[in-house]
Amino acid sequence: MNLYEFEGKQLLAKHGIAIPTGVVVRRGDDARAMYAELQVTDVVVKAQVLSGKRGKNNGIKFCSSAEEVSRACEDLFARDIRGQYVAAVLIEEKLSIAEELYVAIVYETNKKQPMLMYSEDGGMEIEDVAEEKIQKIPADIRQNTIVSTIPFAPELWRCFLAEDARVAEINPLVKTVDGRFVAADAKIAIDDDAFFRHEDWAALEPRTMLGRPSTEREIEAKKIDEGEKYYQGTAGKYIEMNGNVATLFSSAGASISNMDALLQAGLEPANYTEYSGNPPREKVYQLTKIVLAKPGIKGLWIIGGVANFTNVEETFRGVIDALDEVKPTYPIVVRRGGPFEKEGLALMAECARRNNLNMKLFGKETAMGETAKILASMIAGN
Amino acid sequence: MGILLDSNTAVLVQGITGKEGLKAARAMLDYHTQVLCGVTPKKGGQMAEGRPVFSSVAEAVEQFPMVNVALIYVPPFAAKAAIIEAINNNIPLINTIVERIPIKDTAYCLAAAKEKNIRIIGPSSLGLIVPGVGRVGVVGGPLVNDIFQPGSIGVISRSGGMTNEVSWQIRKAGLGQSAAVHVGGDLLMGTTYADLLRMFEKDTATKAVVIFGEHGGSYEFEIVDLIINKEFTKPLAIYVGGKFASVLPEGMNIGHAGAIVGRGQSAAEKEAALRAAGVMVAEHYEQLPELVKKFA
Repeated sequence: MNLYEFEGKQLLAKHGIAIPTGVVVRRGDDARAMYAELQVTDVVVKAQVLSGKRGKNNGIKFCSSAEEVSRACEDLFARDIRGQYVAAVLIEEKLSIAEELYVAIVYETNKKQPMLMYSEDGGMEIEDVAEEKIQKIPADIRQNTIVSTIPFAPELWRCFLAEDARVAEINPLVKTVDGRFVAADAKIAIDDDAFFRHEDWAALEPRTMLGRPSTEREIEAKKIDEGEKYYQGTAGKYIEMNGNVATLFSSAGASISNMDALLQAGLEPANYTEYSGNPPREKVYQLTKIVLAKPGIKGLWIIGGVANFTNVEETFRGVIDALDEVKPTYPIVVRRGGPFEKEGLALMAECARRNNLNMKLFGKETAMGETAKILASMIAGN
Repeated sequence: MGILLDSNTAVLVQGITGKEGLKAARAMLDYHTQVLCGVTPKKGGQMAEGRPVFSSVAEAVEQFPMVNVALIYVPPFAAKAAIIEAINNNIPLINTIVERIPIKDTAYCLAAAKEKNIRIIGPSSLGLIVPGVGRVGVVGGPLVNDIFQPGSIGVISRSGGMTNEVSWQIRKAGLGQSAAVHVGGDLLMGTTYADLLRMFEKDTATKAVVIFGEHGGSYEFEIVDLIINKEFTKPLAIYVGGKFASVLPEGMNIGHAGAIVGRGQSAAEKEAALRAAGVMVAEHYEQLPELVKKFA
């Protein structure tokens, strides 16, 4: 999960990295009063979004009065930044900048270990900085401390480890005219899989990178995989999209190739969804209910590869429980193989009969991509 | 022939008394793979699938020194300790089926394994199969004989479901597999495409290799280097899933944990680099068998 700048800075501060004095403004807050309480005249007003490049997209404003701050907040709350929802606005003291540095820790996939990265050319143009001007220093994940002359590197390493970060980036790390180092920005991504050792993460607000707040259905779907047995089969991945073809994918790998196939067949997905790892009937039922609940659906694609050990009969029972309740009238195409495929497909056929569903069923003999075309022609003829 | 497995393969299952651990033990035994024993903390003395259960890996290998594969099927929060236990007891091949291991724990285990020259497959890997010889993990599931038959095509996949699906497409085309390996979908992989291609290069049974890849990460670029350095010279066909992801915002995570859209790592960019190195790139995963059929 990507953290907002203000959340990331709280983590940096916790591990001894200096951050500017500031305050977080939410929609409906009295920005003037909060500015007054800061007791700083020159401030930076920054939109809190989950992607970078705010500076180049009018997401950052410099102000020197309550009036200016108030107007800047109103303006930022009224728009998206590169399609990203503005969750909050951060008002901070304006730093007197002498130098802008770049320091980050990320996992490097080829070396399979964390890499400390440092450049003296930090700031907005970091993506254009030549590779040779960025130092890359491998770090041993088994060491709790690192020794480095790079400013705040030991503190950032502690933060990276203790907070289970996948990415911890400070850009820019500002050297002020009076010689102090201050983190002017923070880009931290935490590892969702480490939630069991971070109780405080439960309090983080829901978020999506799709340029809008999470929908009720997305929030609802996330809860499916929570609880003690969270790792036994997943069924909580659901992202809403703008199209009208609902999807229910099994297997994460199949899901991404099927999204490609869906678009190639000229269809537009209403959602991205996936269940995998032999989830129990109840989890699949909950997910299917959420998928079917979106308004405006014109077709449904229930699709998966030849499963290794996901029980097709058991998982289909969950799908069928939901179909029995909703009884959709739009075309449905099903393709699936794997353990108990015959039993699962037979149950599905029965469900189609008793509910008069407009459904076509396919086993592993028919390729997945082909069934996308079949669904497209059913929708066109409907 | 085949890679990684042979008739001497002898497996220890960590987490053997759990529902999924038992299922994995049964799957391996059903496919004529030796499963010698299992480990579950505090449950030493029990039997599982007719095999003795020990409370620690140290006790297990004392009784069964011929163990050469550890299969890890424990909850994610216990995975690091289990893998480190296998490493400390010098088991040379570790297949980690566990999904959702924190990346920090994975990185820790990979660093410890590397020091001892121990190979980890996974995490989030359902395992591997050498048709006719044996399997580690649950690849193929109960339908294994409908999907797999000995042959000349090596299969590598980031996705467990697609390991099976692609292998099925190969079977449907009248071909067989020399080995199929699910490398797992996490950002960090213990065994990469490049590692496996080096093994397939040496394997006389393998005449061509297919890969089901995904957007995100930079592992496909390692393949390019391997081919340029002539370390892999056999025909190779690849499908890189996730072209649709280019319409998603940067940093969005979809599919597997490793499939995060980043700079220079999109499916399209990977395909261009692979094509330039002479790799056959499939538009749909269903095309993989036709691309390699003439070499089989």
